[in-house]
Amino acid sequence: MTTRSLAFDTARRGFLLLTLAFFLLPFLWLAMTAYKPSNAIFSIPPHLFFEPTLDQFRNALKIFDVGSLVLSSLMIAGGSMILSLMLGVPAGYALARSSHPAAMGVAYFFMTIRMVPAVAALIPFYLLMRDIGLIGSWMSVVLINCVLNTAFVSWMMFSYFRGLPKELEEAALTDGCRQFGAFWKVSLPAVRSGIIASALFCVLFSWNDFLFAMFLTRLDSKPISVALLSAYGTKDITWGTLGALAHFSTVPIVLIVLVLNRYFVQGLTKGIN
Amino acid sequence: MTNIAMNLSSTDQARAPSGLSSIPFATRRKFFLVAMALPAVAYVIALGVFPLVKGIWYSLYEYNLLKPARTHFVGIDNYVNLLKDADFRGAIANTVIFTVFSVAIELVFGFIIALALWRDDRFNRVCLTLILIPVTITPLVVGLIFKGLLLADYGMVGYYLAQWGLTDPRGLFATPSTALATLIFIDIWEWTPLVALILLAGLKALPGDLLEAAAVDGATAWRTFRSITLPLMLPAVMLALTLRTIDAFRVFDSVFVTTGGGPGNSTNTLMVYAVKEGLSFFNIGKASAIANIALLGVAIIAACFILMIRHFDKRANGR
Repeated sequence: MTTRSLAFDTARRGFLLLTLAFFLLPFLWLAMTAYKPSNAIFSIPPHLFFEPTLDQFRNALKIFDVGSLVLSSLMIAGGSMILSLMLGVPAGYALARSSHPAAMGVAYFFMTIRMVPAVAALIPFYLLMRDIGLIGSWMSVVLINCVLNTAFVSWMMFSYFRGLPKELEEAALTDGCRQFGAFWKVSLPAVRSGIIASALFCVLFSWNDFLFAMFLTRLDSKPISVALLSAYGTKDITWGTLGALAHFSTVPIVLIVLVLNRYFVQGLTKGIN
Repeated sequence: MTNIAMNLSSTDQARAPSGLSSIPFATRRKFFLVAMALPAVAYVIALGVFPLVKGIWYSLYEYNLLKPARTHFVGIDNYVNLLKDADFRGAIANTVIFTVFSVAIELVFGFIIALALWRDDRFNRVCLTLILIPVTITPLVVGLIFKGLLLADYGMVGYYLAQWGLTDPRGLFATPSTALATLIFIDIWEWTPLVALILLAGLKALPGDLLEAAAVDGATAWRTFRSITLPLMLPAVMLALTLRTIDAFRVFDSVFVTTGGGPGNSTNTLMVYAVKEGLSFFNIGKASAIANIALLGVAIIAACFILMIRHFDKRANGR
């Protein structure tokens, strides 16, 4: 390596480290706040160093029913993921395998649905749920999340199945496999990474949503995102308690994405290469 | 396809003379595919499209949940009133400013990061994984993080900014002239990594031999970038641009948590305005009209991008 390219490489790494600091420090600050004693949070001027404590977590667990909040979040994320995959994966398959001109149109229809501003659907959906008596339950949040997620999964699986050679199933079909058997035993395993990516995005969208949950759930069915918002507005809840509560909302999803990073990146960049 | 289908149906018939196989394979295949797609299509229409159409209907009514007795058809009055409404015009301006600035900066910053991450080594792979964390954090929490950091009284950053006289003592969010810029900053923090990731995928898909040939021919780095890298990157750039423009246009979470549209109306965006009207004031008619105009905005943005992509495609193929 020449001196010049070595210098260039060092500069590049330096720049990346600075960039990383920019993107990670704010998050680390919130994470740290949860281990600060209250007097360190409110100290003027703000201190960077402090004695770590778990008081804020104790507070958070005392004030909030964290178990039920996390359970609601899990129900919403898990429920909408399962339903969306059940609806979206077969649809993506059918659209990719059909040679009918309408199939492409339906695929684009799914893509457009994902772009709709949430409120445009939320207000009428809210009234619809009120009329059928589902308002206040996490089920209604699952149902509306599922609209966006199903559309997204169908579109994404459409592109995954399209990249799969048709010959694979055709061989299975000539071997006397039923059509569903060919889909289930041959095509589905071949797009496993697409299904993992779809599931990941469904969980990410629904876990992180709070607009739908804020208006469609009640006190006993609200997920952790909504609890965070209401906690923020309350006077006797400190930033530390908020930081502790935010742990339960952010740490699981960040860990899941870090572990499944490969699928996350692959899913996001599908359609470029 | 037809050939194989015919083939299949004949072998099928020979093997299993059950009731189903008297129907030709091509027909059964069609039924099967429709049956596979139908549940998803029906679901999205019933719970997605139907509410949207209902929303258009509501927007033609004076309809307030708190005053149900006064509900009546008003035609396009809700829309006409919005055009005269200074708050609404302000919301449009805020949304457009927010979208243009955040997307433009994200694109430039994201491109620089993508170039720095281009080489496939261990250091870069670790960087790419970590840099994506902001994208995965709950947007609501992102809002809370910056709210806390920028508090002028005791926020880790806001305190010093105010002490050194760099910002108004009320803090960045509470000053009308800086609130929107701060929200743009938050959006950049949250979504630049996503743009960088998409552009990086584009860079990695570039034909390496073309870049090498340019280097051999003695082209400078800048010239190679301008005449080869940039044009070939157009699809990735367009994808990032489309995704981010539509998402930025629909911004809600971070605004709602940090400023709620204030101070005054200085950060009121279309989504925040619609949510406040509809679900806080229960003014369904007006809120639906705002939401529909936002929907129209998204449709226009999407159509522009599709036309642009087609135009570039044509130019690329014409060469």
